[in-house]
Amino acid sequence: MQGYILNLLILVSISGILATSLNFIIGYAGIYSMAHAAFFGVAAYTGALVAMHVSTSLLVTIPIAMAVCAALSLVISLPSLRVRGDYFVVASLGLQMIAFTVFSEWKEVTGGIGGLTGVPVATLFGFRLASLESFFLVALTCLALVVLIIYTLVHTSFGRSLKAIRDNEVAAATFGKNPIVIKTIAVAISTAFCGVAGVLYAFHISFVNPESFTVDQSVFIMSMIIIGGTGTVFGPILGALIIHLLPAGLTYLTFLPARDLASLQQIIYGAAMVLLMIYWPSGLIGRANVKDTWAK
Amino acid sequence: MSDTPVLRLQRVNKRFGGVVAANDVDLDLPPGVVTALVGPNGAGKTTLFNLITGNLKPDSGEITLRGESLLGTDARKSALRGIARSFQDLRLFEQMTVFENVLSVMERSALPWQPGGRAAARARREKADATIETVGLTNWRDARAIDLGYAEQKFLSLARILVTDATLWLLDEPASGLDPASYERFVNLVRGRLAHGITICLIEHNLDIVHGISDRIAFLDQGTVLAAGEPRAILNDPKLAAIYFGERR
Repeated sequence: MQGYILNLLILVSISGILATSLNFIIGYAGIYSMAHAAFFGVAAYTGALVAMHVSTSLLVTIPIAMAVCAALSLVISLPSLRVRGDYFVVASLGLQMIAFTVFSEWKEVTGGIGGLTGVPVATLFGFRLASLESFFLVALTCLALVVLIIYTLVHTSFGRSLKAIRDNEVAAATFGKNPIVIKTIAVAISTAFCGVAGVLYAFHISFVNPESFTVDQSVFIMSMIIIGGTGTVFGPILGALIIHLLPAGLTYLTFLPARDLASLQQIIYGAAMVLLMIYWPSGLIGRANVKDTWAK
Repeated sequence: MSDTPVLRLQRVNKRFGGVVAANDVDLDLPPGVVTALVGPNGAGKTTLFNLITGNLKPDSGEITLRGESLLGTDARKSALRGIARSFQDLRLFEQMTVFENVLSVMERSALPWQPGGRAAARARREKADATIETVGLTNWRDARAIDLGYAEQKFLSLARILVTDATLWLLDEPASGLDPASYERFVNLVRGRLAHGITICLIEHNLDIVHGISDRIAFLDQGTVLAAGEPRAILNDPKLAAIYFGERR
């Protein structure tokens, strides 16, 4: 039982990092990405490969995965962020589809549909993180660090510039800001933090395969933010908690037939999203924002 | 003070398909002077602002700022060269507070830090607070821009310009919708800046406001500058009045 809960909390921590990193660009910059699962996957494969062939240290695997994700983000950022509007969404969706195909078909590197198995146990300062307790502490620390860094960033001039661009890009440029560079840096930072989550996931599950990095996963991450509250520090973590605890909670409703749980879960997600958008558009801990929601 | 124009437009043309938005426009903005652009809707006033700031590119013609061409300059570079503008629809950073709106326009570096370190950061914050006080928004300092009343939003729009070091201000209908007391405060604020070497060009539909605030008027219709000169002469011209109030030439 304790192992089940720890496992759940590790997944919540990893999802919390994913949601927090995506919230950095959605909530503070107004950049909607459908490729977060792709970056999550790239980081997981990178982490797994480095662990299997180079080093199992998190101090090696995480920085490498972060750098790979940030560099890859430039592939879509540089062309698509030059223009305003929904181009980034479309470009990111394209990248997500390409990434899934690469994960599935580049068998020599990714292992294809079967994935990479036998990812070794992670180490930190020479200690093997073999127990769930130790790994949970590391995952939780990573989540805390990511939240702290993003909280700090959004309260700096860079964060204000992001919010200014989100609110009105033309005005921001008219006052001398460089939206293209600022948005590109923001996406690179976001995907780099996504890299942290990918490495932790690869070590925790100890194998990676493409099914964990589909477009559904991207929507899943986005729904955590929407449920919790975009543009808030703790909203994405609350969203991650709810998304993971809901299926766990349903299993305690013994009167529900086990084979219907998955369908019921989907219905509850869908209904929750619709009701949230109607009655609580800023998310559960988002700022009450009736005026601008109904005025436009 | 030199009489050399701060900004000069020479034979500037801009068409949108069959619509002529700027037709061989020649216009000078003398230093330290408030020039009002006046004309009926669709005369091309805001288009001129967009051409000056680089939001639009002219089809032909030359635009110079203190003798240096602005052609090929985008909105960001125009700001860096000392041009600040407000928008008819204000375009505030709505979800940000009044303080953040004012502070943010001074933070132009794209990097996660600004040059000058802590001392410069402290100076910017103090300047933002002083500017907010100047426009009378101290009580709304921590309110979001979207939660302000219309007059307060107008003054916030002005504060964003006041706090910059820009020497040429382009104000698009800055006083429309203001009550008389707010309007008087606005005029005092704007006229008070002229002594600091600021040059102002504004678009305004309310002729009383134009008369009260401007030193010169340029009258536009269908993209053409029909007349430019002293407010009294322009506003008393019956032919221009007929155009302005809807009787075509």
